[in-house]
Amino acid sequence: MYVAQVIINGIMLGNVYALLGVGMSMILGIVKLTNLAHGEFIVLGAYLSTVLAPLLGIHPILTLLITVPLMFLLGYLLQYLLIGRAMKKGNEPALLVTFGLSVILQDGMLMFFLADSQHISLPNGMGTIQLGSLEISTLHLMLFAISLVTMAALTVFLKYTYTGKAIRATADDADVAALSGVNIGRIYAIAMGVALASAAVAGLCVGMKWTYDPSAGSSYLLIAFVVVVIGGMGSIPGTLVAGILFGLAQVIGGASYGLPISYVLLLIVLIVRPKGLFGK
Amino acid sequence: MEKRRLNNGKIKVLDSLPMLIVCIAVILALYLVCFTQIASTNAMRYMIQIFLYIAMAEMWNLLSGFTGMTSLGQQLYIGLAGYSVAVATTMLHLSLGLGMAMGIGVSILVSLVLSLLLFRMEGMYYSIATWVVAEIFEKLFLNWKFVGQGSGMTIRVEPYPRIHSICIISLTICVCAIVVVYLLLRTKVGLGLNAMRDDVGAASAVGVNVFRHKLLVCVIAAAFTAAAASIFLVNKGIVYPESGFSISWTVSLIFIVVVGGSGTIGGPIVGSVIYVFLQEILARFPGWSNIILGVITILTILFLPKGIVGTLQQKLHFDIFSAKRFSYSKRK
Repeated sequence: MYVAQVIINGIMLGNVYALLGVGMSMILGIVKLTNLAHGEFIVLGAYLSTVLAPLLGIHPILTLLITVPLMFLLGYLLQYLLIGRAMKKGNEPALLVTFGLSVILQDGMLMFFLADSQHISLPNGMGTIQLGSLEISTLHLMLFAISLVTMAALTVFLKYTYTGKAIRATADDADVAALSGVNIGRIYAIAMGVALASAAVAGLCVGMKWTYDPSAGSSYLLIAFVVVVIGGMGSIPGTLVAGILFGLAQVIGGASYGLPISYVLLLIVLIVRPKGLFGK
Repeated sequence: MEKRRLNNGKIKVLDSLPMLIVCIAVILALYLVCFTQIASTNAMRYMIQIFLYIAMAEMWNLLSGFTGMTSLGQQLYIGLAGYSVAVATTMLHLSLGLGMAMGIGVSILVSLVLSLLLFRMEGMYYSIATWVVAEIFEKLFLNWKFVGQGSGMTIRVEPYPRIHSICIISLTICVCAIVVVYLLLRTKVGLGLNAMRDDVGAASAVGVNVFRHKLLVCVIAAAFTAAAASIFLVNKGIVYPESGFSISWTVSLIFIVVVGGSGTIGGPIVGSVIYVFLQEILARFPGWSNIILGVITILTILFLPKGIVGTLQQKLHFDIFSAKRFSYSKRK
């Protein structure tokens, strides 16, 4: 029974990790860009939810109705006006621009929200559900559901909508997609918008599960990076599997050995399969 | 019209005997200023910072601008050097020189081991992996009792060197760094590095040993970064995980190189001077400094992608400290 409990905890935790990584994985797979500011965008999403929930007097989860479109717009504009322009000058300038963005965002949030750690508190206290001898906290169950719904929504969007098909075509071969009439600049902007929207969801989950502060972005980027490298870039199922593997490693290793085990896992994947488990 | 085209195509490479004499004269003059102590303590302090930033920025430029390996993890070697010096001087009561040697040794060793893993990744994966490694080291040192965990270690050098001798050491490191980069770029290795930056596959196909070249550059960069950083941290007197392994080091280096001119040896020199004085102005606005540096870096990338020195060279048709060996005109 103890084993089952550990596995369930690991899967629950892993889902949040996958959510942290999915936006970054999309940008890497589609725009072929490492978004070094992804961690800061997650923190920004968390702050938006923290501020909006008491302000409007609504349940934190409902703030997604505002933060997701807002972050989508931010991503769209950033890619269209800034990152896209830098990408025309090559890979490295674009990377440095996202790096600059991450520094600006981090220090900007530090000035605006101060360095205190924050937490998104839920209005009605969270209990646990008893399943035989298994214990599952309702918070974890809720995070699990949010994460799965987000992944499913992203998969459906990419697979069945026209824009989603255009995005996948662009990811496969941008030149050929452009020849067939896809507006690459717009597709990249939409992809960045979707990635930031997923960061808004991830931010909410992170804020409900842990405490965070303006400098937490780099540790989320770290998790996202590990998840993306293990899973293979651009693959949503890969991200999910990698997130769960990472979560299991954390839970099995506990507080003292969790991180070392995850890094060893990362190194093994890098050595055996540098493109990730599900990479093309 | 005819005249303009002629002028456009010609590039003058400034590297002959007069240039060498000017360089040696400038270096000698700087040494003289340090030895005779005619400069005020304050001026010395600025000079030390400029020299050390030049050395570190030249190394970052060697990695990113000349070889195409944009590292975001040079702070790893800065932290390692700081801790090595702290352990050597404060705990073992060794001299500063031995402490520096230890820092350089540790950095070279770590860079050799890490290279085996990091070189499996290319391009942006490499960049972010270097950052991840530096973050991992920060976490490691945060939990390591021997090095004082979060509170870090004080660096107490006995006898504490006078400021002008620190200035001389810094200048020496700086000059060595520039000379090493310059000479490296003028050899066959340098040509290989530039070829790798432009196209790794093609470079490998014409016989450039990519792994060996990358390894060489990484080790050189680690060694000089460690040397410069140990002096820097001795000056500060304390090293703790959030300062030694801080990403702000890389922010500064990127600012210096991008604003000065990536892929030129003159760029980091100009960038360092600007950075040190800008830092002085920015100190009046606490909290804003990284934001302003970030904005300037992004604007430079968008509107002046070659940086100050690169743009000047292009507009005025000259090359300074260039790997090119002769002046030439571009043929249509």
